Amino acid sequence: MRRLPVYLLIDTSGSMRGEPIESVKVGLEAMLASLRQEPYALESVNLSIITYDGEVKQVLPLTPLDELQMPQITTPDSGPTHTGQALKLLCERVDREVRRSTPDQKGDWMPLLFIMTDGKPSDIQLYNEMIPEVKRRNFAGIVACAAGMNAKTEPLKALTDDVYSLDTFDSTSFKQFFKWVSDTIQTGNRSVGATDDLVLPPPPAEVNVVC
Amino acid sequence: MNRQQRKAARQSAAVSRLNEEARAIYSAMARAGVPEADRGSFLDRTIASLWQTYKDERMNQRIVIENEMRQLGLRLPNGTVGKEYSCSFLLPVDKVDVQGLDGAADLGLELELTDTHTGEYTLRGKPLQAGDFTLRLRYTTVEGEGESALDLPIAFNPDPRTLWNNVPTNPDIAYYKPDSEKEYVKVEAGEDGVSKKDMVAASQRGRSHAHEGRPRDDHFTLYHCRDSDWYIMAVADGAGSAKYSRKGSEVACKTVVEHCKSELIDNPEFEAAIRAYEADRENTEKRTDVTRRVIDIIYKGAVNAHNAVKRVADASEEGRLKDFATTLMFAICKRYDFGWFIASFWVGDGAMCIYDAEAKTAKLLGTPDEGEFSGQTRFLTMPEIFHDKDVVSKRLRMAIVPDFTALYLMSDGVSDPMFETDRNLNDFSRWEAFHERLLKGFPDDGIAGVDLTDDNEKAADQLLGWLDFWSPGNHDDRTIAILY
Repeated sequence: MRRLPVYLLIDTSGSMRGEPIESVKVGLEAMLASLRQEPYALESVNLSIITYDGEVKQVLPLTPLDELQMPQITTPDSGPTHTGQALKLLCERVDREVRRSTPDQKGDWMPLLFIMTDGKPSDIQLYNEMIPEVKRRNFAGIVACAAGMNAKTEPLKALTDDVYSLDTFDSTSFKQFFKWVSDTIQTGNRSVGATDDLVLPPPPAEVNVVC
Repeated sequence: MNRQQRKAARQSAAVSRLNEEARAIYSAMARAGVPEADRGSFLDRTIASLWQTYKDERMNQRIVIENEMRQLGLRLPNGTVGKEYSCSFLLPVDKVDVQGLDGAADLGLELELTDTHTGEYTLRGKPLQAGDFTLRLRYTTVEGEGESALDLPIAFNPDPRTLWNNVPTNPDIAYYKPDSEKEYVKVEAGEDGVSKKDMVAASQRGRSHAHEGRPRDDHFTLYHCRDSDWYIMAVADGAGSAKYSRKGSEVACKTVVEHCKSELIDNPEFEAAIRAYEADRENTEKRTDVTRRVIDIIYKGAVNAHNAVKRVADASEEGRLKDFATTLMFAICKRYDFGWFIASFWVGDGAMCIYDAEAKTAKLLGTPDEGEFSGQTRFLTMPEIFHDKDVVSKRLRMAIVPDFTALYLMSDGVSDPMFETDRNLNDFSRWEAFHERLLKGFPDDGIAGVDLTDDNEKAADQLLGWLDFWSPGNHDDRTIAILY
């Protein structure tokens, strides 16, 4: 069975506490509900969630969509945002979880990565070191989302050309954002192959394109 | 000690504790000088107070057990509508009596005690509807206490098969082609009365395309030349991500078939070279001669196909060849008195194979091009294909076989679900199983088999119907061409 691995990196630093993280959870639930209505996604999407603050955790190992149950997502009171550390864990997990084709095994589709932050990496040196490592992992697409006014888009632009921003933290914005993520995942299900770039569906009004 | 005994022991302990306390109270009343007249009301009050203590204790026990139940951290795995669900878990049956699981029956599930010794319960059945639900496990803890409950969330996914839409492709799009295609090429027996092999092919748009009203990208072309008796077959798989690949696959198939047709219609030198080589197979000169002629026909056919697709791409608005990316496999075959001569070219994934049920052989006519990840392959439209110094040894094949059951050409929409891995493509038993599947169909899913008997023109419709088989995650366009 060909799997489409999808990695979500979610900023859970102190500033996300309260409404922002609750909105993210609502958005994630809505995304799952919408993906479950899509037969191709239901049979091929495998999802992993990595949260990062001062601590980096893979709260959900790569799991088939139909078996998936939402993990607990918590935020500390305050502390740094270890985005670099998160990318490091991401690479480790991709190496371990994503299957390559061999004579005895069918490879997965090229994985997708979504990264969301409301700030900037506290471990910028590691972050910069990890960027070429992430790029070596053959992601079919990397989509970065800067949420709120304090989010820095510059570091994200070094990671991918597809950087988007959300002005507000309310659940409507996140719901729209994750709806769009789910549309993108479905695009990923089919657009791997001859062309190198993932063609993203047009983002909703709440999501701004960062140039 | 069994559960009943333990419970009885708990109860008698409580009773004797009460007795003791009552006796103590009587002596204490006497010692404390409680007057006879007041002893009744004093006792009433004391008993009421002790009853309260007993109830509190019982309540505490219940709370402890309830906490224990919660701390089991029971999480029911998700299920799928219509698919057998079964989940077992252990409950502390020495402490709780399960009264029921509310909501289960409505969802088509039943809870059963499957192991009285360990306290294993099993929830099973076929879920009736999709969605997120909460089941309520009702149980009692201490006698005299009311029921306790534990809420257990459970989610059922819809059956993916029920979610597919079949949206026809808009016929106004550029390079429109029908969503499915089928063909039967019936070749009548020759003057000698010996029946001849026929060709059948079918191509069905994948469910993933049909779901969104996107066109079929695969293509096939069959041709049998009455004059020369050559059979020519081509199958091409347009890249899912390339927007005009449906045209690329069509142009590639048509071009090679046209090319081979004109090369073969009257080519006595080639025929003579084949016969000469067959008569003296150890002769390297004769082998080189026939190989050179095969390259002339086959390799040039592939180059022509590449160029033809390029011309169409150049003439298109954006003019990008990769928008027309397609794989291509084709074969030319002819029966001689000594057996069958087959030559082929293959770039991309899928499978092309000479299957012989009697000789128990499956000869793969090349190697599928596959990358590290799914969907990564090589395309006819990549110019570097032809710059590869090994292009001839890698992609061209020539074979002489006495006879065969079927020559198969198929896109990866068929070979992926049927063979899964490259290694299996080289395994005769997998081809045997595949052939069997083709003839028998998938009775459980209501998919009929294909009757591959001579001159059965219905085989085209049967083959097209067969291509609708179900395989989770495999919903690509499916194309298969058979010479049998």
